[in-house]
Amino acid sequence: MRETVKLISMEGFEFVIDREAAMVSQTIRSMLTSPGGFSESKDGVVTFPDISTTILEKICQYFYWSLQYSRGKETEFYIEPELTLELMMAANYLHT
Amino acid sequence: MEKESPLVRLCLEEACKSGESVERWRLQRRSLERLPPHLADALLRHLLARRLLFPSLLEVFKHSVEKIDFRGESSINAEWMAYIGGFLNLSSLNLSDCPRINNSTLWPITGLTSLKELDLSRCSKVTDAGIKHLQSVANLEKLWISQTGVTEAGISLLASLRNLCLLDLGGLPVTDHNLSSLQALTKLEYLDIWGSNVTNQGAVGILKFPNLSFLNLSWTSVTQAPNVPHLECLHMNKCTLLSIEITHTSASASLKKLVLSGATFSAETETFFFTNKSSVTYLDVSKTSLQNFAFLETMTKLEHLDLSSTAFGDDSVEFVACVGDTLRNLNVSDTKITTAGVEILSGHVPKLETLSLSQTFVDDLSILYISTMMPCINALDLSMTSIRGFIQQQEEESKKSKPSLAALQSLTSLGTLSLEHPYLSDNALSPLSSLTGLTHLSLRSTSLTDFTLHNLSSLPNLVSLGVRDAVLTSIGLEKFKPPLTLRTLDLRGCWLLTKDAIAGFCKRHPHIKVRHEFAQESSSLDQNRLLPRSSPQQSFAKTSRRKSNQRPETSAAVSRSFIDQRVKYNRDELVALQDSPSSRLLPREGNFVSVPEILADSVIHMVIQ
Repeated sequence: MRETVKLISMEGFEFVIDREAAMVSQTIRSMLTSPGGFSESKDGVVTFPDISTTILEKICQYFYWSLQYSRGKETEFYIEPELTLELMMAANYLHT
Repeated sequence: MEKESPLVRLCLEEACKSGESVERWRLQRRSLERLPPHLADALLRHLLARRLLFPSLLEVFKHSVEKIDFRGESSINAEWMAYIGGFLNLSSLNLSDCPRINNSTLWPITGLTSLKELDLSRCSKVTDAGIKHLQSVANLEKLWISQTGVTEAGISLLASLRNLCLLDLGGLPVTDHNLSSLQALTKLEYLDIWGSNVTNQGAVGILKFPNLSFLNLSWTSVTQAPNVPHLECLHMNKCTLLSIEITHTSASASLKKLVLSGATFSAETETFFFTNKSSVTYLDVSKTSLQNFAFLETMTKLEHLDLSSTAFGDDSVEFVACVGDTLRNLNVSDTKITTAGVEILSGHVPKLETLSLSQTFVDDLSILYISTMMPCINALDLSMTSIRGFIQQQEEESKKSKPSLAALQSLTSLGTLSLEHPYLSDNALSPLSSLTGLTHLSLRSTSLTDFTLHNLSSLPNLVSLGVRDAVLTSIGLEKFKPPLTLRTLDLRGCWLLTKDAIAGFCKRHPHIKVRHEFAQESSSLDQNRLLPRSSPQQSFAKTSRRKSNQRPETSAAVSRSFIDQRVKYNRDELVALQDSPSSRLLPREGNFVSVPEILADSVIHMVIQ
């Protein structure tokens, strides 16, 4: 079975995605891999009290798109203009 | 500038795709207020670059933006500045070369309490009254007002800005009296007073700035280099250096950068000036009358050395070789150096990265010395030399010659190469196609044909290519497959190319900026932005940028790609248009920078720099 992680949004929605996809974000990567005993690295659950469900969903989509892109599938990632500001801030926080 | 992460970049592009996309986020006030400053700055920068910024849109950024760079924007006027006045957290504002900035448009700045950096360079309408507005910006730390209309009285007012650590007064009539009143600015580290009226008498006062590390006295009548204790950088271009206080020479031990281009030395200063300057890493003595270069021996830390247009020749090369271990940039263009000199030099400059030998007598053999003995070279200028591209074999197989440029292949880091030279032929240049690392290549020869152009399309990393004065044909240009990375193609002087051929190429490759007598200025590419302040090229880049900025904000009905109506229509059509009612739709005169103004501008820069 593939390893998964759970990302929880501001409103409490849970997104279960491949660990590999979540690792696209440098921030999540360091949370999951740091040996210092972040609770995240044990349970594989990360909560984002500042990121709304809509944005977190988009972020997860981006993770998968980014994996595909790096494997040579060059499609475009569409972002609705109204999401750009919030998504930008989340991306900035997640280093992705 | 901070590098954005990939998704941030995608968001920025999407947010600034069109005026419509802007409308879809501009009312998200809460998000806009929460934007971290570096993201807000980046968004503003993108909007400006995409020509989507207008005064009332500035309002949404007033809580978040910290840095604004409006360099060279001709649209910035009182309306824009009124909004800028509300930017509570603004710390840096660059208005240099904004032609519509004047004293009254500066008034809103008085409310910017967090402002630390302000650049008004070359805003010629700013005068002493404008400086009065600045006096209330007490936290100002860096101020550039070079080439403005400020006079002696206005300069004295600056003494009240006690936090100033950088002050650029270049080209202003700074007097000795001014300098003594500015001594109140004890935090000053950087003082630029090129072209001022300061004399030796006033220059003594410079010693009273305890923290000064940068001083520019170029184009002044100062004849004596002041021995400021912690000075790291001294510019005295075009000064006459007459006397030296030998007693204080130890003081200049911290000096790292010494720029004396075009300076005149008297017989005795030539010997003494450079003693005790062993800490210098950057030395520019180009265009000077220096005859004896023995002083170089003592400058063991030199990294950058400019000896261009001097009496430097093969007999002085040994002095450079002595200090070659640390040398990274060397400019000996327009000197008497020959291949023999290059031979002496090779092997002594292991770290050399940039080498200019243009306008010298070096020949093809020097290419061999360079390629075998200078492994780190990444930029090489061999224009206007005796290089022919072939080395005549001395052996019995007479008349057989070997292409010399192929040797450059061993320079693995070579990225920039200039070979502008009238006698170089297609054959001589054919080895260039194997230099796959090249990013910038410039050629200029009347002997070149389509062959060279096509040959070079195999260079995978080429960003800019110049093939000037060549006999390129329209069909040749049509068949040319530019490398994907290419952004600039300089075809000036290629007289056989037709207007249609150039236009066709531009249409097929819109991301490539073409320079040719028939090419129009494209406005989308702005590669000149990153040039450092007050470099000579900047002034030219600036004028061309300004031309492209003449987009009228008012009349969206007029196509944006046609800036100057004389480009859009030919003469007859223009005459016919004169009486048509639609001519009233054309932009108002105020939006244009007239051609004479641009010319005058560049002439001024040429004279000064």
